[in-house]
Amino acid sequence: MNALGLTQIGLILLCTTTISSLQCNHLPLQQRKVIKKSLQLLDKMGKNFPRQCLREKMSFRFPEQVLKPRQKEIVKVTIEEIFQHIFYIFSKNLTLAAWDGTALEQFQNGLYQQIEQLEACIIKKQTHYFQSKEVNRLKLKKYFQKIDCFLKDKQHNLCSWEISRAEMRRCLQLIDKVIRKLNN
Amino acid sequence: MIPYCIAQIGPPEIELQSTNGVIKIKISPPEAKMWINPLNFKYNLVIWENSSNAELRSLNIFPTDIIDDLAPDTTYCLKVQATIPLDLKEGLFSPIRCVKTTRKVNDLVCATNVSVFALNMKFHLHWNNQYKQHVSYNVQYLMGYLKKLHDDYSVKWLSVPRCENITDTQCNFSSIIIGTSGFYYLRVQTMNEYNKSCLSDEVKVDPLITNEIGPPDVKLDISDVLLHIQISPPGGSESEVMRDHYDLSYRILYWKNSSNNEEEIKMKEIKQTIGTVSDLTPSTLYCVKVQAFSEFYNKSSHYSKEECIKTPGDKILPLIILATFVTALIAVCLVATTLVFVLYQAYNKIKYVFFPSCQPPLNIEHFGAQLFSSPFLSTTEEVIENCSIIETIITEEVNQVDFKDCKHSKQSSRDSGNYSNDDDTSGSKVSEETVEKEIV
Repeated sequence: MNALGLTQIGLILLCTTTISSLQCNHLPLQQRKVIKKSLQLLDKMGKNFPRQCLREKMSFRFPEQVLKPRQKEIVKVTIEEIFQHIFYIFSKNLTLAAWDGTALEQFQNGLYQQIEQLEACIIKKQTHYFQSKEVNRLKLKKYFQKIDCFLKDKQHNLCSWEISRAEMRRCLQLIDKVIRKLNN
Repeated sequence: MIPYCIAQIGPPEIELQSTNGVIKIKISPPEAKMWINPLNFKYNLVIWENSSNAELRSLNIFPTDIIDDLAPDTTYCLKVQATIPLDLKEGLFSPIRCVKTTRKVNDLVCATNVSVFALNMKFHLHWNNQYKQHVSYNVQYLMGYLKKLHDDYSVKWLSVPRCENITDTQCNFSSIIIGTSGFYYLRVQTMNEYNKSCLSDEVKVDPLITNEIGPPDVKLDISDVLLHIQISPPGGSESEVMRDHYDLSYRILYWKNSSNNEEEIKMKEIKQTIGTVSDLTPSTLYCVKVQAFSEFYNKSSHYSKEECIKTPGDKILPLIILATFVTALIAVCLVATTLVFVLYQAYNKIKYVFFPSCQPPLNIEHFGAQLFSSPFLSTTEEVIENCSIIETIITEEVNQVDFKDCKHSKQSSRDSGNYSNDDDTSGSKVSEETVEKEIV
């Protein structure tokens, strides 16, 4: 095994080791910055909501109760899950959306970094956060599945993407409000 | 019963390829409608040499990855499991697969020691090339999240602007680092004159973690009792990004710079860019140096240059005392002079009134009681002589006026001299008396 090989192992493991060197207490502050940046990028990605898509608008009903538990840790984990879902949605076929590729890439990259950091912190602490409120997590999964199915049904056309983008905006704004309350 | 919680994660499917001394691996996520988000999976690889007493190595890998810290011409066995870290769920392992590594072929020596140097959000990539042949370099970057997806990201590497076809063994890639939108991978492609290329190892760059914070600038200012320390954040024009994301604080060290080097160094931590130090000894040289640090990222800069300033001391103090004394003296003198003057005036007045220095002449003294019978006082007869009728033809009004005047002049004891009666006195006397009687 040569020195180069060792650096390669280091590279692969870098994901977890560098992130775990961060202090997890400051994560809410970091989360707020990521959300603020993500909202800016979502706006930058495309233009104003097209009028012709208004009649196709659907109500997805985000399950707000998932962000209401009193324990900070549970909310932190829930937010991480939401980021993962949003990351997944935006990894689909976006050609018909015709959005700004750079803004989209930065949006995804920023989300991914935040997901990794949160995961490392949660794994480090090694506690079971999901002994209660399983029902809430399932509601969350159902909500995002609805959006995924909606996109598939409309064959990822422009209107379906614009509606999903608006919905994700709402979602992130809600999370921002919750994090602000948690920090105060 | 919640199916999601009970369900077991199945084994993933793997494809292996052994080339050039490395093993390329491609993982497909476990099939199941339950796992709505296949991107939630993290893959754990366990690999060992196919020999007795082989050590098992476990590492986290991406869906498409390269394992290259392997010995050539050796058979390795491996298995992969999918995990969901959040749920602390671990899936079943895939069936064990064994593969032999090939020999490493290197007709062109790749760039080695690829490393990143970053200061104040300015990123530079450096590398070495032992064989200085006629080669050119092409630096490429990949956005971090692309490795997480199941798509083939090998086609998604992009060239860093201004680092294409270069001969220099360094590249400034600050232009691709956009604020803090995630991390990046970088690699160097070496091309020789025969268009043969070789890719170097990848380097992961997480901007805020890789970046080093430079020292801040310090300016000192002194007032009577306070030392003001003005800190300019590191980074100059880029300092806004650093300030926003690092949440910078500053550590100030200050001490008295005297010949006796055993002075205690004091420390102060602040979040703002202006610090103040009080409790200063006059006429002393104080030296200050400042360090910027980020608590969250556990990063600190080098200390700034030492700046020294002397506190105002004895030279000025005597002057102040003298000026104060002189001013007080003048004020006291003025007040005293005024007071003396006022008292003197008062004394004079009192003396004049109650104890006059001049005595009246002796001959006047006796006249005090006989004041009203003095023959030298004027009589009423004289008064009559003052009045005179100037014009007898004039109307009654005029005459009345004259008489009034006459009455007034009777009452006074002095000769006003306004009305001359030298020329025509006898005639006027008679007519005056008759007219007077009429009016009365």
